[in-house]
Amino acid sequence: MTLQPLDIGHADYVAITDPATAFWALVRKDRLAETLAGGPLLDAYRERAADFARELHGLRFELKPSAVYVNPTERCNLDCTYCYIPRDMRRDGEHMAADRLLAALERLKAYFATTLPAGRKPRVIFHGAEPLTNREALFAAIDACRDDYTFGVQTNATLLDDAALAFLTGRGVSIGLSLDGPTADVTDATRLSFGGKSVHDKVLSAMDRLRGYDAWSVIATCTAKNLDQLVPLVELFHAREAPTCMLNAVRCTLPGARTVKPADAALAHAFIAAVERSHALFRASGRKLVVANFANILLAILAPTARRLMCDISPCGGGRAFFALAPDGGLFPCSEFIGLPQFEGGNLFRDSMEDVLASPAFAKVTGRDVDKFAPCSTCAIRHFCGSPCPAEAHEMNGGMEKIGAFCGFYEEQVRYALRLIADGKAGDFLWDGWDAGVETSFSVNLP
Amino acid sequence: MSHTAQPQQTQTTPATSQPTAQPAVIASRRRCDADGVGLSHYILMDRKPAR
Ligand SMILES: C[S@@+](CC[C@H](N)C(=O)[O-])C[C@H]1O[C@@H](n2cnc3c(N)ncnc32)[C@H](O)[C@@H]1O
Repeated sequence: MTLQPLDIGHADYVAITDPATAFWALVRKDRLAETLAGGPLLDAYRERAADFARELHGLRFELKPSAVYVNPTERCNLDCTYCYIPRDMRRDGEHMAADRLLAALERLKAYFATTLPAGRKPRVIFHGAEPLTNREALFAAIDACRDDYTFGVQTNATLLDDAALAFLTGRGVSIGLSLDGPTADVTDATRLSFGGKSVHDKVLSAMDRLRGYDAWSVIATCTAKNLDQLVPLVELFHAREAPTCMLNAVRCTLPGARTVKPADAALAHAFIAAVERSHALFRASGRKLVVANFANILLAILAPTARRLMCDISPCGGGRAFFALAPDGGLFPCSEFIGLPQFEGGNLFRDSMEDVLASPAFAKVTGRDVDKFAPCSTCAIRHFCGSPCPAEAHEMNGGMEKIGAFCGFYEEQVRYALRLIADGKAGDFLWDGWDAGVETSFSVNLP
Repeated sequence: MSHTAQPQQTQTTPATSQPTAQPAVIASRRRCDADGVGLSHYILMDRKPAR
């Protein structure tokens, strides 16, 4: 075992990690030398190190797919600056016919029956582009397959009228919305219709109508255009009783996204301020607004297998925990790759899923391992961050063995997460009940 | 390891009600069956606390 110290910017504590097993401990600065020299912490860890290595290996290499991101259309009514779906596809693309969509879900059902234990439903997340532009096919598929899958829809909310909302909520479909600013001018800086119209108020209307529904969330994409507005944005989400949000760094896979890329330090500062604000609102109101992507970093540290998002792990979840289906049947490791034809691993209607998962296109993504390339291979936090995202690394930085766009931002998040753990506050940032079914596998607290 | 900026100090306010003696070492790990499938463009909110 090789322990590495990590300065977390805390007045009293420093972290030590064994990156190979994702082991960590927080050590009071005045006891660091003594702790590293040996004693109860190292003895306890030595006993468990092999178990932790096995656990991490299972999570990184032995999962089987249990979800699919289904794009029922190439089309979208919005022209967001940073979208990872190419513009021509969104403007002029094809819908998936209703019978094709049904046939696809039937094929996928047969595949998932081979990977999932009986009684566990696979997840289908309708994604895009804008799934509600192909509403009839979408709703017919949900009704036809409601016993076979757990469904989610990610939507820009512009087509989420009362009937659509009643349909989805009535069937327990989880709904994700997108909003980038607390005011229309901020949202409009990145999210407008092809005709240049604002969609901000439509999203607010959907949020109002979703109030009280427990399975909805909202994504804000963090760019150079909204960094200084993340605190009021979190206030808006909390006031509208969003149960969960994500504050995602813009993925710089396609060139358009890079035009609004924020700098790491500025992003970290604004992001942490927004997360702190969500915490202050929780303390004041008793109601949580979980920032899911940050909660996931906390979970990667506290309980690696309890992660819910699979971007911040290496290899990422693309092509192994989930995959993505394009409207023509094309299969990609993740939605993020749908604009990159060389990452198409095969076609659902022609190829076997096993062959697709083993295809060179998929293997490129599932083989991206932070233990094997610099600078990640010597980084103390590589298995808390996972060096997202392979699509971004490949397109922006020139290869799979490169870092993504926001290495410094991830480091800052991990340091902040460890400070919260040192201060005993981490639970405030996680979903209530996150630890149901979770057991303690290591616990050392030395006076 | 650090190939980026220095950590930002003072982001977290110290806990208001800290125990008189801070532990010298804090370390823990928890585990469960893995079933995460979210990606940065979507999180599925289907885990009910009482599952
Ligand atoms: C591509 S959209 C598809 C679903 C739907 N049209 C919507 O707007 O939610 C899914 C989410 O990904 C986000 N997104 C698109 N391009 C992105 C990028 N380059 N980086 C980060 N998020 C991005 C969008 O803002 C949206 O929240």
